[in-house]
Amino acid sequence: MSKIRLKFSKMGMGKYISHLDLLRTFTRAIHRAGLPVRYSQGFNPHQLITFSLPLALGVTSETEFVDIDFEEGTSAVEVVEKLNGSLPPDIRILNASEPKCKANDIVSARYIIKMDLCGLVSKARLQEFFNLNEILAVKKTKRGEKEINLRDYITMYDLKELTENTAKFEVILLAGGENNLKPDILVAKLCEFLGSCATESYEIHRTEIFCKDGEKVKNFY
Amino acid sequence: MNCYKSKFEACLKKVQKPARYIGNEFNSVHKDDFSNLVSFAFCFPDVYEVGMSHLGMKILYQMMNEREDTVCERVFAPWVDMEDELRKNGIPLLSLESHLPVADFDIVGFTLQYEMSYSNVLNMLDLAGIPLKSADRGEGTAFVCAGGPCAYNGEPLADIVDFFILGEGEEVNNEILDAYKVWKAQKGKRVEFLEQISRIQGVYVPAFYDVEYNQDSTIKSITPNREGVPAKIKKRIIKELDNTYILDKMIVPFMDIVHDRMTLEIFRGCIRGCRFCQAGYLYRPVREHSTQKLIDAAQKLIDSTGYEEMSLSSLSTSDFTCLHELIDELLKITVDKRINLSLPSLRVDNFSMELMEKVQTVKKSGLTFAPEAGTQRLRDVINKNVLEEDLLRTSRIAFEGGYNRIKLYFMIGLPTETEEDVKGIAELAQKVIDVFYSIPKEIRRGRSVTVTVSTSSFVPKPFTPFQWEPQNRIETLIEKQKLLKDNIKTKSISYNWHQSHVSFLEAVFAKGDRRLSDVLIAAQQKGCRFDGWDEHFEYEKWLEAFKDCGVDPEFYAYRKIDHAEILPWDHIDIGVKKEYLMKEHDRAYEEVTTPSCREKCMGCGAASFGGGVCFEQNQA
Repeated sequence: MSKIRLKFSKMGMGKYISHLDLLRTFTRAIHRAGLPVRYSQGFNPHQLITFSLPLALGVTSETEFVDIDFEEGTSAVEVVEKLNGSLPPDIRILNASEPKCKANDIVSARYIIKMDLCGLVSKARLQEFFNLNEILAVKKTKRGEKEINLRDYITMYDLKELTENTAKFEVILLAGGENNLKPDILVAKLCEFLGSCATESYEIHRTEIFCKDGEKVKNFY
Repeated sequence: MNCYKSKFEACLKKVQKPARYIGNEFNSVHKDDFSNLVSFAFCFPDVYEVGMSHLGMKILYQMMNEREDTVCERVFAPWVDMEDELRKNGIPLLSLESHLPVADFDIVGFTLQYEMSYSNVLNMLDLAGIPLKSADRGEGTAFVCAGGPCAYNGEPLADIVDFFILGEGEEVNNEILDAYKVWKAQKGKRVEFLEQISRIQGVYVPAFYDVEYNQDSTIKSITPNREGVPAKIKKRIIKELDNTYILDKMIVPFMDIVHDRMTLEIFRGCIRGCRFCQAGYLYRPVREHSTQKLIDAAQKLIDSTGYEEMSLSSLSTSDFTCLHELIDELLKITVDKRINLSLPSLRVDNFSMELMEKVQTVKKSGLTFAPEAGTQRLRDVINKNVLEEDLLRTSRIAFEGGYNRIKLYFMIGLPTETEEDVKGIAELAQKVIDVFYSIPKEIRRGRSVTVTVSTSSFVPKPFTPFQWEPQNRIETLIEKQKLLKDNIKTKSISYNWHQSHVSFLEAVFAKGDRRLSDVLIAAQQKGCRFDGWDEHFEYEKWLEAFKDCGVDPEFYAYRKIDHAEILPWDHIDIGVKKEYLMKEHDRAYEEVTTPSCREKCMGCGAASFGGGVCFEQNQA
């Protein structure tokens, strides 16, 4: 098998590297590392690189995946080592494996969200938001804008920490080709709900990607 | 990291293209502890994607950071959305690498690539919280310096910049850093540092010179106002390019920048002597890198950047003496890695099919030529030694080789220009089109051809034979643009032109004196910035600024200057003598061309540097 799936993290200021820029970053890192990547056929050949699930701008992650086609016999260990030497510091390859799950099967992703607060917010108040039957928001799609109910996109909410200054919670949101929710849309709505207690300062971090396996849902890898 | 970091990060969520501000790109240099280092903030007065395309910054950045006693960080002008956020949140201008306040650096250095970036220089100082006027900067404040082509006549910034660096920076920057260390250890006064470095060749401290004016506003005298500073400041050059720092490592940005590729600088200077071209005189004498050095550097650039394109950089690629050999050697190390070679700045008089085919090995790119003027008479006036038959021959080669798009650059408003010369541009473009249709269909590619004609407006520049020339008035330039447009009869020619108002201000600041410093300050206060960007250029604000300061901009741009007059830059010595420029100015009116440095030495004065083409000739 020549296709290698790399798990990588995107941390720090690296969260502001857009999806397109990330592709360019990998392309050049592979060049620098001198790895035997395979190219597409056709008029404008490009390296065969596919990201499993785009990450929204401004979100850090410890679980990103990219598939790269190498020439037969390329050692996965060598790929990890060389790429870590040639990628910028905010992007780190964590491990390499043979692709098991299909990117098309991705259904959801887990995020940790930390919001800075400037007023007292109770646990009940937060729960109230996540219990709403309808959280209407506008989502930009390729075809224009459409109104969606965020409720349909949130499959899990779990409060981790609540102090005077911060709220930290975990959510699982629908992700992938069919239904995808960018976590910042949720945060913006929550800020709106909390009113003057919310600030514009928040951090979002992706911790896991899930895919369907028949009727079940499992970790993507 | 520091107190602004989290506020700064919050701003990034609200602006376009946050990747402009994050730093941490591959090959960027990060030094943790600044306490024992000389810190240099290298400022490019434009947005990230423009500044990161600039070769000089890449060279000096890597070179200064190779010094263990120095840290150099980059600073770019924040785009207007980011500037709003910074001001709203009380965040000063920060460096890209460490996100530290620019005002905390020891030396804040600007590169002046074009006059229309001056308002950005002031705006960046304002954002940094550094006093705009040199005289208002007290002990402990950062030193503000400036280099680059516009520094040769930096007079409009004389009240703002503490010292200018004239010429190539590889040596002189190191001497300044050394002097700074000594001065810092001695706990010297601010003025003492400036006095010390004013003795280094290539350093110009404007405050050490007094300018007196005549009744008619022209300059009466420029004289040093203290002991020990030179009456004339001579630029610096690197005599032997092979013996200096050669760029073999470049930062690889995350985002798409204007020139997103490796740059291989093959030589400095230009042998040609086009009479309008400032670079052609400023960078004399011509000095080349050896092919072997270039191949070594190219290999290292390829390994350290991973870029898929390499561009050869110089003022006139085809004048490199061993171009074919260089390209053959470069192809050996680029083709297998799918790296595209691009050759900008080709001349039509020595363009060959062979050369074109060589660069085609990987990928085909567009062709651009610069005849600059529409008739042979005017091309002789400006000494652009390009014949119509050269252009037509080259076009034929290109069309037969499969091209069907050619771009042609011209200038309008050149000295002695007549209606015939303007119409000549349209006629020349038409002749190129006729060449295409004269080629049998089986040979040429495509059914139709496109010629893009671009005109810029002539801006007389200091240190050129045309420095005494007036610029055409804005109305005249617009009339000429219209005349040209009316004379283009086919849809196969598309015509672009530059905004004349910008060209007018460019002329004012190119040839201006230090009385313009107040105008720059007034304009910055009125909100002028990013004047090089059409959407932000506000001509009315500039006119107000001139009016408020009682300065007539037309005095600088529209006046025919007498050869005997003292020019604001007469105390700057670029090697080429003023008398030589006068002679060239006269020859222009005689419509006599001047041979290139390799054909015949005309004794311009650049030989005083003791190197380069001036001596290669004597040996031959």
